[in-house]
Amino acid sequence: MMKRNIFIISFLLIGSALIYFTLRKNDDHKNPPLRFVSLAWQEGAIATNRSIVNEWNATHPNMQVEYIQGTWNSAHDYLVTTFETGDVPDIFHYESSVIIDYAMRGYLTDLSPYISPEMKSDILDVAWATVTRPNGEVGGIPFLIESLVVLYNKSLLEKEGIVPPTREHPWTWDDLQATARKMTKDTNGDGVIDQYGVGFGLRNSANIIMNTSISFGGSFFKKEGNYYVVKVNNEEKKLLQTIVDMLYKDKSASPASIGETGAGMIPGFFSGRYAMLVSIGSWGRQQIVENAPKEFRWGVMPPIKAQTQMYGASTQTLSVPKKSKRAKEAMMFIDFMLSSKNTARLALNDWMIPARKSCLSMPEFQDTLGGWDITCSAVSTLDVGPWLGAPGYVEWKSRVANPVLQELFAGRLSVDEAAYRIEHESNIVLSRYKKHGEVW
Amino acid sequence: MKKTISFSKIAIHGLIIVYIIFLLFPLLWVVASSFKPTQEIYSGSPTIFPQQISFDHYLSVINGQQIFRSMWNSFVVGVVSTLIVVLIAVPSAYAMVRYQSKVNNAILGWILVSQIFPVILVMIPLYVLLRYIGLTDSLTGLTLIYVVWSLPFVLWIMHGYVKSIPMELEEAAVLDGATRTQVIFKVLMPLLLPAIGASALFAFISAWNEFFFALVLMKSPALATLQVELARYTGMEGQARTGPLAAASVIATLPSIVLFIFMRKWLTKGLVSGALKG
Repeated sequence: MMKRNIFIISFLLIGSALIYFTLRKNDDHKNPPLRFVSLAWQEGAIATNRSIVNEWNATHPNMQVEYIQGTWNSAHDYLVTTFETGDVPDIFHYESSVIIDYAMRGYLTDLSPYISPEMKSDILDVAWATVTRPNGEVGGIPFLIESLVVLYNKSLLEKEGIVPPTREHPWTWDDLQATARKMTKDTNGDGVIDQYGVGFGLRNSANIIMNTSISFGGSFFKKEGNYYVVKVNNEEKKLLQTIVDMLYKDKSASPASIGETGAGMIPGFFSGRYAMLVSIGSWGRQQIVENAPKEFRWGVMPPIKAQTQMYGASTQTLSVPKKSKRAKEAMMFIDFMLSSKNTARLALNDWMIPARKSCLSMPEFQDTLGGWDITCSAVSTLDVGPWLGAPGYVEWKSRVANPVLQELFAGRLSVDEAAYRIEHESNIVLSRYKKHGEVW
Repeated sequence: MKKTISFSKIAIHGLIIVYIIFLLFPLLWVVASSFKPTQEIYSGSPTIFPQQISFDHYLSVINGQQIFRSMWNSFVVGVVSTLIVVLIAVPSAYAMVRYQSKVNNAILGWILVSQIFPVILVMIPLYVLLRYIGLTDSLTGLTLIYVVWSLPFVLWIMHGYVKSIPMELEEAAVLDGATRTQVIFKVLMPLLLPAIGASALFAFISAWNEFFFALVLMKSPALATLQVELARYTGMEGQARTGPLAAASVIATLPSIVLFIFMRKWLTKGLVSGALKG
């Protein structure tokens, strides 16, 4: 009898707990705030985001915003689930290449009617181009520009008597290769190379290769009628061959580049294992400022010239899901969040280029300390690759480009074999989107 | 002959030690990183043990993010779901073994089949269902999901274990005048305890480590679970706040390790018995 009572009491306790949690949750949500999912992850960036949200909440008691910390690694799965179920955040932070895909799939509110003339004119055209569909729909408001930079170890270059390039006299890829060869050496005479001219982060190299291909006159994606096809022409092949040669022919690029991300190469950069880090995101500067040994001296190079100095760019954005019932209010918050002053705060903390022209003229972004001057001056060399408008690009990048490029850089494919594989496998992926009639 | 045995024993023990080092190394690395200053973590010549002990990452974790609240959420969800799973699985397994019916095999088959579905496949229907009954963004909803997720495996383990207990024991107790309740609580329960302990540990650790359901279902920052909180230390393109992430991971691992130390005998005994005799 007693045992039975224990069972009954246990069930009652658990039942009560379930009811309590449910009721408590319902009480908490009588006057729901706007939900803002941010992907800021550095301490400084999180603090800035929270601070801006608090400033908004202090002045808008009837339109509060709840700050929700998202995560980069799971953002896509999280967002697609919310889009499909309808239980969406009102505002979310993400990046342009994915935003374009979401816009095509009808997940996003067209923000174009809500954009103020001041915001419209102040944000750089190249940034707008990353989020605007040909019909004028805007999938998100760009606020940070992600660009690739080349970082160099000042002490090592000085030791070899090498003068780094300037904005007026940029290096070509031939210059870079020649310097990399000179800097690659066995410093302690044990017969093993312990200093490489260059380190890349090629683990998931599609972004780097796509953005760099523009300077070689390539773009991988070409438009045929209403649809995109992938072509690996001589321009794209030249870029791939240059990197392969640096890895295997003159061996001036560290083999560690093959399996590492840009972030993973930074400790080797500190220790002098790589004299230059090529094609790392501009955010890499933050890691150096915060974590480098005190005596470490470094600099940022202007974009390396191939045919041109133009490189592809992408942006970080704030968007509003189509299923949000409060798009107008959400856009009011975005307008506040991405004012010129706040955009500058966000860019400084994330170590990326602000998308607003008014920010670029601020003294903070022309400072030589931290390489802001060179990084921000590269804005004039940024372009938008056609792949940003290609249906299926996100899937193509993860299913075709990254795996094939990994095999190429690991030495398992020749450039021609990789080119064939990319073209052949791309058409399999992209034809599915073509079949669904998805056009940019 | 004696020498050969000694040598093989030494070799086996040597291999076991190497294997243990292999298993423990990541844990050692995480613990060491949690005590290294940031500059040392990013040093080009890494060392296993910290050159300089720093508690900055622990302080950053404790002050900066909601690690303890998220641990509490994970703990509540883990404990409640484990209790419910055990309360359902034990009588169900007993009934399935002792009361033979035509549907038993179908149920066992379904338990196995249910393990095949990947999380991503069931996420959206589950979400819609939970939203319909008002249980998204609530620890109750998450608890129910964990119950449903762990129950089949726990039931499978318990089924195997109950089956391994001879029916004669119960019959003997009945012949001695025991009631059914007495048979269950005085004869069966003591024998089932190892399996219950092992199953409970499995259910708790599954809930404690689960990430995706918690990420998608919990919208309010106050309801985030530990694994979701930990993921927030990682950034784009392979970057992470390594020091704080290591410190938070050490804090997060402690409850599981303590629980495992206390229950490891039950775990091995329960799992092995269920697996071999089921």
